[in-house]
Amino acid sequence: MKRGLAICMGFLSLLLLFTGCRKKEVSKTATIFAMDTVMEFTVYGNSEIMPQLEATVREMENRLSVTVDGSEVAVWNRGGSETFSPDTADLVARALEYCRRTDGALDITVCPLMRAWGFTTETYRVPSAEELAELLEKVDYRHIKADGTTFCKSAGTEIDLGAVAKGELGNRLIRMLRESGVKSALLNLGGNVVALGNRPDGAAWRIAIEDPGKEGYAGVLQVTDSAVVTSGGYERNFTQNGVVYHHLLDPKTGLPASSGLLSVTVVGADGMLCDAMSTACFVMGLEKSIEQWKTYRDFEAVFLTEAGDIYLTEGLESSFTAVDRYADAKVTVIRA
Amino acid sequence: MKTKTWIIILAGVFLLGLIGTLIVFFRPTENKIANLYVDGVCIRSIDLSSVTEPYEFTVETDHGSNTVRVEQGRIAVISADCADGTCIRTGWIGERANPIVCLPHRLVIRIESDVVGDVDAVAR
Repeated sequence: MKRGLAICMGFLSLLLLFTGCRKKEVSKTATIFAMDTVMEFTVYGNSEIMPQLEATVREMENRLSVTVDGSEVAVWNRGGSETFSPDTADLVARALEYCRRTDGALDITVCPLMRAWGFTTETYRVPSAEELAELLEKVDYRHIKADGTTFCKSAGTEIDLGAVAKGELGNRLIRMLRESGVKSALLNLGGNVVALGNRPDGAAWRIAIEDPGKEGYAGVLQVTDSAVVTSGGYERNFTQNGVVYHHLLDPKTGLPASSGLLSVTVVGADGMLCDAMSTACFVMGLEKSIEQWKTYRDFEAVFLTEAGDIYLTEGLESSFTAVDRYADAKVTVIRA
Repeated sequence: MKTKTWIIILAGVFLLGLIGTLIVFFRPTENKIANLYVDGVCIRSIDLSSVTEPYEFTVETDHGSNTVRVEQGRIAVISADCADGTCIRTGWIGERANPIVCLPHRLVIRIESDVVGDVDAVAR
C-alpha cells in the first residue's frame, strides 16, 4: 500500500516536469513603410509568404500612388496616357462605381482640392472661396468616361485612389494568404485593419476603434474574416485661427465635411468596399449612411456622433462593446 | 533508510512540483517587452516590467534622431527632430495595439505582451 502510494507520487512528480511545455502558435510579424503609412502584418503558421506580401505592397504602391513619379495614376493625371493596366482599370472602375453609388460623397477626383488645402504635401493653408469655386469645377467623377481599360478625362481632372487603394491591397493580401493555406493573420495597413480567420487560440480578433478624443478607445469589435476601416476628422488635420480643418473634404463644397460625425467605422468582407464606404459615410452623415446600409446591406458600421452618442447597424449588435470614455454612452442600434 | 522517510521525501518533491505547476499556470503574464524597430529591423529590446529607475536614450538613424524615455511598464518618445512630431504626441504607451510610429524616421516602438484581454489592433 505504502509502496503503491510512493510509486504513484513518484510518477506524478515526473509528470509535473512536463507542465512547463505549452503549445504556442508560431507567428511572424513584418513592418513595412509604404503608401504614406506604416503597415504591420502578423501571420500565423506558414510565414514564408511574407516576402511575397511585401512585394505586392510595393507593386501596388508603385502602380497607384499619386506621389510616385511614373506610377500609372501619376502618368494618367499628367495626361500622358489614357489607358490603365487591367488591374488598375478594374480598381478605377470599381472606385467610380462607389462614387456613383454614394452620389459623389466619395469622389476620386478630389485630388486638386487636397493639394490646395496642403494635405498632400503637409503645407497646410485655407484656400479662398474663389479658389475653391474654381477648383470645384475640376472635381467630379462624372468627368471620367470609362471604356474598357481606357479612361478619358476632362481638362484638369486628376484622381487620387487613397480612399480605396489600401482596401484593395488588403483584399489581395488576404487572397494570397488563403491560397498559401494560412488560416490566421492580422494585417494592419496604417489603421485599416484586415483579419483573416480567428486568432490562433480560436477566439475572434479584438479590434479597437480609436477614441476620436485620443484618450484610449471608444469600443472593441470582435471580428472574424473581416476588414475594419475607420475614417475620422481627427486623423489628419491642422488648426488655423482656432478652427480645426481636417482632410476628409466634401467634394461638393470643397470644405472639410461637417456631417455631425466624429468617426465612422465600416466592417465587412470586402476591404475595398469598407475603405470607400468609411470615407463616404463620414462625408454624407448618419441619415444618408443608414439609407446606404438599408439599400445595399453589404457592410456594417459604427458611427460616433459629435453629440457623443454611438449608432451601430444591427449586424454588430453582439460583437461591439463600448469602452473607456464611451462605456456609458448612449448606444442606438440601427435596424432594417 | 526507512520506507517512511522515503515517503516523506517523495511527498516533499511532489508538493514542490505541485506548487511550481500552480505558479507556472496562474502567474499573470506581465512580460512587457518594448521592441524598437528602424526600417522594420529590431534594434533594441527593453523589458519594461523590470525597469526600476527611469532612463532616457537617443535613437540615431540615417533619417534623424528620437529621444526615448523608459519608465516601469511604459515608454515614450519625448523629443525628436522629425517634421510632424506625431511620435511625441502619441505619448506614453504600454500595450501592444498602440505602437509609437515616427513615419519620417521609420521608427516603430511596439509593446510585445501576452496579457489576455488586450486588443489585437486599433482601427483609426
